[in-house]
Amino acid sequence: MATPKETIEWAGETGTVSQLRGEVFKYGCLGAVSFALLSVLVLLLYVAADAFQPFTADPGWHLTFFVTLVVPVVGTSVWYYRRDEPAGEVAIATLGIPIIGLLLAAALAVVLSIELVSVAELFALTVATAVSVGVIVAHARFRPRAAFERLVVLVGAPVVALFGILPEEVTMVVNITLRQLDAPVRLTTRVVSLRELVLSVPYLPLPWLMLVLAVTLPVAAGLGVLVARRRASEDSRTVIGMVVGGALALASLGPFVGPALGIDPVVWILVVTFSVVPLGVYVEGIVRRQDGVPGLAFPVLLVGGILLGAVLVEQFGFAPPDTWLDWQFLTSVHSRTPEDAGFYPPIVGSVMMMIVIALAAFPVGVGAAIYLEEYAPDSGLGGKFVTLVEINIGNLAGVPSVVYGLLGLALFIRILTMPAGSVIVGGLAIGLLILPIVIISAQEALRAVPDSHREASYGMGATRWQTTRNVVLPQAMPGILTGTILAVGRAIGETAPLLMIGAASSVRLAPNGFFDQLPAMPRQIYAWSTNLQPEIRHGVLAAGVVTLVVVLLVMNGTAIIVRNKFQREA
Amino acid sequence: MRERIYRYVLFACALLSIFVTISIVVLLAKDAIDFFGLVSPVEFFTGTEFLLPRNQVGVLPLVSGTLLVTVIAAAIALPVGVAAAVYLSEYASERARSVLKPSLEILAGIPTVVYGIFALVYVTPFLRVFGLPLNTFNVLSASLMVGIMIIPMVSSLSEDAMSAVPDSLRQAAYGMGATKYEVSTGVVIPAALSGIFSSFILALSRAIGETMIVAVAMGSRSRMIDFANPLQNLWQGNQPMTAAMVQINGADNVSGIGFKSMFAIGLTLFVITFLMNLASNRIAARYREEYN
Repeated sequence: MATPKETIEWAGETGTVSQLRGEVFKYGCLGAVSFALLSVLVLLLYVAADAFQPFTADPGWHLTFFVTLVVPVVGTSVWYYRRDEPAGEVAIATLGIPIIGLLLAAALAVVLSIELVSVAELFALTVATAVSVGVIVAHARFRPRAAFERLVVLVGAPVVALFGILPEEVTMVVNITLRQLDAPVRLTTRVVSLRELVLSVPYLPLPWLMLVLAVTLPVAAGLGVLVARRRASEDSRTVIGMVVGGALALASLGPFVGPALGIDPVVWILVVTFSVVPLGVYVEGIVRRQDGVPGLAFPVLLVGGILLGAVLVEQFGFAPPDTWLDWQFLTSVHSRTPEDAGFYPPIVGSVMMMIVIALAAFPVGVGAAIYLEEYAPDSGLGGKFVTLVEINIGNLAGVPSVVYGLLGLALFIRILTMPAGSVIVGGLAIGLLILPIVIISAQEALRAVPDSHREASYGMGATRWQTTRNVVLPQAMPGILTGTILAVGRAIGETAPLLMIGAASSVRLAPNGFFDQLPAMPRQIYAWSTNLQPEIRHGVLAAGVVTLVVVLLVMNGTAIIVRNKFQREA
Repeated sequence: MRERIYRYVLFACALLSIFVTISIVVLLAKDAIDFFGLVSPVEFFTGTEFLLPRNQVGVLPLVSGTLLVTVIAAAIALPVGVAAAVYLSEYASERARSVLKPSLEILAGIPTVVYGIFALVYVTPFLRVFGLPLNTFNVLSASLMVGIMIIPMVSSLSEDAMSAVPDSLRQAAYGMGATKYEVSTGVVIPAALSGIFSSFILALSRAIGETMIVAVAMGSRSRMIDFANPLQNLWQGNQPMTAAMVQINGADNVSGIGFKSMFAIGLTLFVITFLMNLASNRIAARYREEYN
């Protein structure tokens, strides 16, 4: 019996030693994760403190909001995390949907208010799009066999309806080229597009009615279709009709109720369309399914806490903090005096650049991904070429952004002679930068669609394109979209390419065309960072940084949460 | 017919990526060749002074600046990133991982100009509290922030590699009486080594190409590394290749030589990062352990 006892003692000794080593290792690794997260979080808190100046407020102000807002919100969050996970998801969604809706509404309101697109133009655009889609659908229904003809219609109808022949933009570019070649001729004659035809009608409906028809109707119809698809059991027409009818009725209240409450009808319509209606549809679904209903309390607590706190603070006369990041900062232009400095032109510039980036990178990126995943040959010369393209895309994703700026400078400004520092050049250069990222994420999304679905589709006689369009793309779309949102989020924060293409440090006017000077959020932040004034460095700069980071965190957070949800469901 | 048209359109999209690479090389090379007509390559690649007003455009001080940043950033990011990856892949509960991984990913979305401002406005004064003799613009805090910025990249790519190690290997090690520590360091890390290395190279190439952190927080005075006085290198400012390009482009009174040198520097940078990415791909593909 002596020998085993000895071995046990021996094992016990190393047991403790290796346990200690293991624990140290484990906590070291945990420390690494915490360091990565906390170091940035602490710095973000410092910036936020500079931007909001919370210590300038009365202690009573803090106490009031702590009791009315922080305690209930933290309490419910902990409860959701520990007890009721589905309710936590509902809480995030009911809070997130209106916030994202408000951001969308704000972006559209900005676009309308700088008259990049007027309400009438938006209306004309919607009518023209609807007509061209109608033509395509009608053609597909009446002549289902005429494939080549449909391709012509597919391309031709939108072009004629939206741009006319020749498109105005094409005419402009051709004329610029002709001028550079010193040719005496200019392109002038063209057929008027449906869009312009609508604009020239003498009796257009009232602006608010046009806005409702152009924005609320399509958004509500899209939502209705989505809801109807989820509820296969009911008559889809009733569902769509109810959603659209409700949305139109709510939106149309704006011009009548809005002025009485002091709300601009346009703002009312946009907020109803993008925030209230989607939220209503979502909440209705939750209540119907009875899944995670307690989560609905969260936004109520949050908004209620803010309102109650505001009333109490008013009552007791506590002074709020003297923040740098306020409404004035978001809506005014840059100024030399820090107190008046604003961030409005860069916000508008970044939104416009985002439009260019998305239009440039999304179709091409998804097209390339579809080719590589669905069409490309696996072997032979073609296969080698595909491998080359894939390696090349991987490498392009790692090329420093400043090099893309140099490419933009050389290609768009010096060869294609586009105006330096304009919205379009910035958008295209950064579009090229995120193209590889869009391709790679779209490829991953396409790869996640199981092969059995493709084979089932082929087995029913579908062609490759039909399979791609009807089977693969609809399933891969959530993944593709979230990947694109992440890429666009990265694009908005890119600064180095903007510097290389000569974006001006301070633009006093918000751009209202794509060839105007580009003010962008990161560019303005960089300009402020070179200023040594403490009010700029610890005030205006911090407010700009917080604005940019909040926009990006909302975008990235949404994309990542949505993606993880879809991954779990799949 | 229609099928073929779609195929060609999609093919053209894929071809565009090749076109981008070619146009980067051709356009940068065109101006770089012009530049080497004015300044001999020997002078450019061996010159130890980079002074635009005097048209002295030796690239070595810029390379030394880039090297400093990359080495310090790597010293922080590589160990921390791998340790974080080990925690996420081996120790974290399913629940904790579902929170930590997305958080790291969200942090990776913060723009680099913001990291630069962290370094300039917050980190430098914080380090001065400890009595470090830092200039306003200095290498240390900028490199620290570059390191922190690339941690998520190292950790997420390494974690992917570690998660790909099949569970049977771990079970076998446990079966032989190995502890969790021994499994992590003796089985998982060696099996995932190729993935970890390729994540290192990608992260380094990211650090080399990082522009805004160094442009904001490291000043605009290029210097050779001072080997006689190593710590002094950290306290004072320096200028890596990327920041020099930004400075040249932003300055008004740059001569033709200075302006063209930007393209030569850009091409050098492109070639270095491109080769590193290629090497990373190769290592990942070649030394990958196949378990099936």
